[in-house]
Amino acid sequence: MGNLLEHMGIEKQRLHFSWISSAEATKFVNVAKEVTNAVRALEPNNKFVKTLD
Amino acid sequence: MTKEKRKIVAFLCNWCSYGAADLAGVSRMQYPADIRVIRVPCTGRVSPKFILSAFRQGADGVWVSG
Amino acid sequence: MNKLTQNIRELSSNLLKNNKVDMVIGFKKGTIPMAVSPMAAHNIEQTKEFIWDSNCGINLANFISDKKEKIGIIAKGCDSRNIVTHITENKISRDKLHIIGVPCTGMIDKIKLQSNFNDDITDYSENGEDIIVKSGLIEKNLKKSDYLKSNCKTCMHRNPVIYDELAAELVQEQKIEDQFADVKKIESLSIEDKWNYFDNLLKDCIRCYACKNACPLCYCPSCFVNESNPQWVGKGQDKTDIKTFHFLRAYHCAGRCTDCGACVQACPMNINVRDFTRKLIKDSYEIYGWEAGLDITKRPLLDTFSLKDDDSFIK
Repeated sequence: MGNLLEHMGIEKQRLHFSWISSAEATKFVNVAKEVTNAVRALEPNNKFVKTLD
Repeated sequence: MTKEKRKIVAFLCNWCSYGAADLAGVSRMQYPADIRVIRVPCTGRVSPKFILSAFRQGADGVWVSG
Repeated sequence: MNKLTQNIRELSSNLLKNNKVDMVIGFKKGTIPMAVSPMAAHNIEQTKEFIWDSNCGINLANFISDKKEKIGIIAKGCDSRNIVTHITENKISRDKLHIIGVPCTGMIDKIKLQSNFNDDITDYSENGEDIIVKSGLIEKNLKKSDYLKSNCKTCMHRNPVIYDELAAELVQEQKIEDQFADVKKIESLSIEDKWNYFDNLLKDCIRCYACKNACPLCYCPSCFVNESNPQWVGKGQDKTDIKTFHFLRAYHCAGRCTDCGACVQACPMNINVRDFTRKLIKDSYEIYGWEAGLDITKRPLLDTFSLKDDDSFIK
């Protein structure tokens, strides 16, 4: 999925996958930070957004 | 890290990551507030439609976690 | 009449005569030059209409989904791969099919051919690897190999992979240096350029769904584009909707697409729909070593799991 999105011109850093067990609160927080940082590093998304024009 | 807020849609599995998010909350851990959680019965329920739908409605990022 | 047509007529009338099948699916001559239309022959008389030439590019596997009758089908390389996909996906059972394999030397890109002429093509005939095309003004002798459809140029499976009998001798498979050159070209673009490339590619799309209807993989009784509650994709000409449609359609074909080129051939606006599916073909080949529709005993790619699968994208 990520590959085709990137192929079409959506930055790969916008889509994340992870695997976290329900006991891994620390991992959850770390991944949450990682994802947020990755997305914040990009411009706000304007592609694929449906606008009424 | 910039302070600018982004919208990230997180599809979390009820049994795994949603539990982890709950535990993180109970344990009063801090994490960024850019994340909007959608609970799904299982990550297998997430189809590409969901992800595109999130982007179409203006999400800056999508996070799928099982 | 060429030898292949003759053989196909003979084989299919034998099938019907011996009651081995209830119908045979093949091509008949269309109403304008270079056009063919799919047809089902139910009796021996009708098999006389069957033809085979380099215009039979659409995929006949499209017409066998969920059929209850015993079917004879004429299949070139890509058709046969789609038949395999149909069998593994339980859309038809193998014993309901009698496959007449046709080794293929590629199909013709009509639009490319037409670009040689200022007026409409009025007559078309072929002789081995040469094609003779007439328009109102001129007549031209051309080489078939110069006018192949783009997917036929990179085709690695010209011979049917599954068949009960053959209508001609097997042909030599092509040797291709880099079968994914077109995908790599797009991959080398910057993220902005990619976005613009696809914007530009789809600017003509009229959402007629011809690609979806011509595709043998698109057999869902109700397609996601027709769902209205919830509505995943708008029905209009909105740019985002068009892109969503093409993206999701391509994704539904991941690990199943055999690159038969039916979508491109069906497109009235000449959009190279394959730009989407090709990327997924490349990925399935490079990441999982998978080519769709080669083996009737293997489960579809997205249906199998192995510990060796790439999981580098998961945190």
